[in-house]
Amino acid sequence: MLQLLPQMVLALAEKALADILAMDVDAKPRLKRLAGKQFAFQLQELKLRVVLTATDSAILLNQHQEPVDCAIQTDLASLKRLRDPNQLTQLIKQDAVQIEGDLQVAQQFSHFFQQLHPDWSGKLASYIGDGMAHKVEISVKQLAQVIASKAQQLDQLTTELLQDELQLTPHPLEVEQFNASVSRLQARLDRLQQQLISLQE
Amino acid sequence: MSDSKAKTTDFGFKTVAEDEKVSLVANVFDSVAAKYDVMNDLMSFGIHRLWKRFTIDCSAVRPGQKVLDLAGGTGDLTALFSKRVGPSGKVVLADINASMLAVGRDKLRDQGLVDNIEYVQANAEALPFADNSFDIITIGFGLRNVTNKDAALASMFRVLKPGGRLLVLEFSKPQSELLTKAYDLYSFKLLPKMGQLIANDPDSYQYLAESIRMHPDQETLKQMMEQAGFAEVSYHNLTGGIVALHRGYKF
Repeated sequence: MLQLLPQMVLALAEKALADILAMDVDAKPRLKRLAGKQFAFQLQELKLRVVLTATDSAILLNQHQEPVDCAIQTDLASLKRLRDPNQLTQLIKQDAVQIEGDLQVAQQFSHFFQQLHPDWSGKLASYIGDGMAHKVEISVKQLAQVIASKAQQLDQLTTELLQDELQLTPHPLEVEQFNASVSRLQARLDRLQQQLISLQE
Repeated sequence: MSDSKAKTTDFGFKTVAEDEKVSLVANVFDSVAAKYDVMNDLMSFGIHRLWKRFTIDCSAVRPGQKVLDLAGGTGDLTALFSKRVGPSGKVVLADINASMLAVGRDKLRDQGLVDNIEYVQANAEALPFADNSFDIITIGFGLRNVTNKDAALASMFRVLKPGGRLLVLEFSKPQSELLTKAYDLYSFKLLPKMGQLIANDPDSYQYLAESIRMHPDQETLKQMMEQAGFAEVSYHNLTGGIVALHRGYKF
């Protein structure tokens, strides 16, 4: 039964994706530009290689290892950095990302998903009414903000704890200072060596 | 084999004359066509949808390809293929049985799938298509009912493009002893009762159970495909071997 699990997961994901696309009125016209393209994505941690096929009304999901227009293979750690286009070449150099085929197709797919803004509160409004849906939307947005700021605070707190209280890691400035003094030492050593050589002669 | 009177074949556990099987199978499917999808979901607990998705995954279908869904019945595979090949591709839904074809056509039209699907009533043993015309051929739960399976495989080989692949999704032999027992109990005791209750047609579902037992097992079918000319034939057992998906290429 476990063997058919990917099929089940992808069937459900395909349905969910269709529902999300239906909530964004701009999705269909933008999808037309993608239609007929296939893009494969694989995380090294998972054995699953998901193939996305764009049609003019949906994005369909499959899994197989056969050639597609563009295939990307990466690991979880690099996934976050992959979002920043400036880091892409560096990631490819480090072998953290393997790309086969037309990179433009991958960019088009990524662009499509980044631009996707499902109007879920509109959908919600048909069940609980406009006013309530608006309230829920605002609450969700506030919650997201609170979580983001708390995460930032926690980040800051951990850094301070490690650097100042426990002194387990140095501050970036300290590292810089240390590096500079090592360079200075190196320079003095070089000079000394030169002097020594000239004295010997 | 020499005498035409002696030419017989299996129809479930019965032995019938070869030219009789077609009409006997036709009777079965004429009678189950209307309730076919409901019964499929009930009998397999919905798992047949996953078997079909697995088939699509193994086909690695691409937009623009030409697909033949043989014995396509009510068009489940055709629907999945049709969305994937897009407007530049084509899916031909072929079935020997007009009732099944009609049910399939109605269902696909209700789903709004009309652009790239053609319907052909055809016998798998003598396919009415030109040589080398399809990228992918699938036959889902159909080969079992074909009278002359070798002729059918040869015919599929002929119409497949070089580089194309054949996928045979069919009931097969369960791999564990325990599963075989449970499966036998289920298909001979429960299945005809379910057929009686829902489709009011126990005989057809008795035939279904019997014909599954008469169908060649995994290795035999693999050899048959190799004899028909297919290369790199392999199979996957699904749900413990109750169903097997065979895949072969034409090079």
